[in-house]
Amino acid sequence: MNAIPEALNALPLIGILFQFLGYVAANVTFMSQTTVAVAVPVALAALCGAVCERSGVVNIGLEGIMLTAAFVGWLAGVFAVGMLGHGDPLPVFGITPPLLIGLAAAIGIGMLVSLLHAWLSISARVDQIIGGTIINIGAVGITGYLYSLVANQSLNGAGSFKALAVPKEVADFPLIGWLLNAVLAQGPIGILTIFLVIFLQIMLFRSRWGLRTRAAGEHPRAAETVGIDVIRLRYFNVVMAGALAALAGAWLSMEHGNRFDANMTAGRGFIGLAAMIVGRWTPLGAFGAALLFASATALSASLTISPPSGDLGNLTNQVPGEFWEALPYIITIVVLAGLIGRSIAPAADGVPYERESAT
Amino acid sequence: MTGKVRNVLALLAASVLVASACTSSGATTAPSTAPTGSNLKIGVALDVGRVDDKNFNQFSWEGAKQAADALGATANYVVPKDASDYDKNIQGFIDQGYNVVVGVGFNLGTAVVKAAKANPNVSFVIVDVAPCVDETGAPDSTFSCKGDASKLLPKLTGIQFQEDQVGYLAGIVAASTSKKGVIGQLGGVNSNPAVVKYLQGYILGAQSINPNIKVETAFFSTGDPVKAYGDPTWGKTFSAQFIPQKGVDVVFQVAGSTGNGALDAACDAGIWGIGVDVDQYLSYPNASKCIIFSAEKKLSKAVSDSIKAIAAGTAKGGVSLFNAANDGVGGSPLYNATAAGLPAELQGKLDTAFAAMKAGTLKTCPDKCGTWTAP
Repeated sequence: MNAIPEALNALPLIGILFQFLGYVAANVTFMSQTTVAVAVPVALAALCGAVCERSGVVNIGLEGIMLTAAFVGWLAGVFAVGMLGHGDPLPVFGITPPLLIGLAAAIGIGMLVSLLHAWLSISARVDQIIGGTIINIGAVGITGYLYSLVANQSLNGAGSFKALAVPKEVADFPLIGWLLNAVLAQGPIGILTIFLVIFLQIMLFRSRWGLRTRAAGEHPRAAETVGIDVIRLRYFNVVMAGALAALAGAWLSMEHGNRFDANMTAGRGFIGLAAMIVGRWTPLGAFGAALLFASATALSASLTISPPSGDLGNLTNQVPGEFWEALPYIITIVVLAGLIGRSIAPAADGVPYERESAT
Repeated sequence: MTGKVRNVLALLAASVLVASACTSSGATTAPSTAPTGSNLKIGVALDVGRVDDKNFNQFSWEGAKQAADALGATANYVVPKDASDYDKNIQGFIDQGYNVVVGVGFNLGTAVVKAAKANPNVSFVIVDVAPCVDETGAPDSTFSCKGDASKLLPKLTGIQFQEDQVGYLAGIVAASTSKKGVIGQLGGVNSNPAVVKYLQGYILGAQSINPNIKVETAFFSTGDPVKAYGDPTWGKTFSAQFIPQKGVDVVFQVAGSTGNGALDAACDAGIWGIGVDVDQYLSYPNASKCIIFSAEKKLSKAVSDSIKAIAAGTAKGGVSLFNAANDGVGGSPLYNATAAGLPAELQGKLDTAFAAMKAGTLKTCPDKCGTWTAP
């Protein structure tokens, strides 16, 4: 019975390939969890970037927005617990009043910081890279300082949203059980991310708002001549996108973890921007790029934790560990430089729009 | 601006942000109420964070305060706003006539060595660092350490700990707790000798309880300091994969704040965690319900003893080793003993092993101590 697989394994290149597929199949359950955990914040950040840039505003400040939202959400939860107590969690997602207050505060501050970026970029017409950089550096400093003031009073925060309990029948479903489990065994923000990707993909390409957004990003003057208020539209998009980045931050401090840590975003917003570019400024593409990056991360973690045996193991052991750790970034660069080819930004991306004076 | 230029800028900004990861802010000074009457003025240059961080800053400062109280000396501390304040804070103490300056933690190593070379009349202590100097006594950024620090900088004491001894104790606890006979340990990077010594001691300690135990080891990164020591989100994600993939039921973390994520993951997975450096049951309450033990460096004792040696004139330059023999390392109390089903005789086994370490009859590290070789 095993003659055919054995024969296949004996062939040098194909054998290694088959062993690799076998290794992935054996470890996919473990890797899928890591993939989802790495992909969610990156995908949300990429969505934020896409909504901003499609309307013509570059938002590299989304890393700072994430960090601020992660901090404020956690801190609001701490205060809410102090005033209201923890309360009884709902059976679904373990939702408690302090958690909801924390989430609302995170989204609120995210939109507020985004409004600052919108004002800098749209009204003050500051260079948008500089504006975003100010937000990033400011966020690291301010949250780090405020956190150091409260960090050591054992502030456990409001806890975290709980993942859905996936029934055993679903998780053990043949062939795709692991996939269903990975997708469904998440908290509310993780599940919402999937809906947001689909929703924004449809809205951006099938709705009036989407058409106007794309017009404002490609040729704002032409958009204005047909009666679109470009300034207002850009403000709206940037502020709404702030809520997306805020969700990514809240995921870090209130869903994946249950605490804040200085600079806990650790560059995930920038990975999100790269995912947006690889995904050609479309929500679905950006999500795909985030998944690609995340699965490469999970694979490299798996190779570290549980090195394969046999010929494949001999091969992977000869490659330095640094290579596997760099793999997600290498894949992103290769895809960005090679396969995508024509990843073209919206024409008016990053260009402040100035109305012609009415004379 | 074209898209390409912008993308390059975004990447640059990313690297700036990552580089700034280790610096957060918060600067305060506070006087101690120590009585005067001795000619020692002790200045403690802390690392970024807070003085009451239940970690390196707090216990080092407490050690300095104990020494000051015992000697009737003055002690003061300063918390830096970020890494660029290290030199300034040390110089501040020297300008104010302090004659003992203590630098707390690996990050201050270079700044302290530099100051020790420039101020040969001031005594220095650096916590958890073996001073590495070139032939002139200047800090050696290449880490070839050609100069003899104890001769070139005779008034600089480098406090080092024998991590393998407490790692051994952690291994005893882990092997006694494990029902499956499979235990895990997670290190920051495999090129850091302090991390590796903890892990090597853990393996030997576990094998002393159960010769057939499987000890699974993984590292959070191959060299990225943020992923290795400063990213609890990555720590939790990676550990949540490690724990089921290896089927471990106890995990020992040796990876700073990344490792705190491993303790969180242990809680989520319903297994037990072991903390590192300080008593993490107290310092990391988020995971206290699943921490059974911590492998501790006795920072207060080490700093206090080093200062007293300076006062007594018995301090020698170079490395001052703290281990079981001088109570410089040790295990925390056992926690969650009932819930974890810890055997009643466990504390006795720990005490016996510690006594053997004190007597110097227990080997807690393999021959290549501090160098990681995959089993």
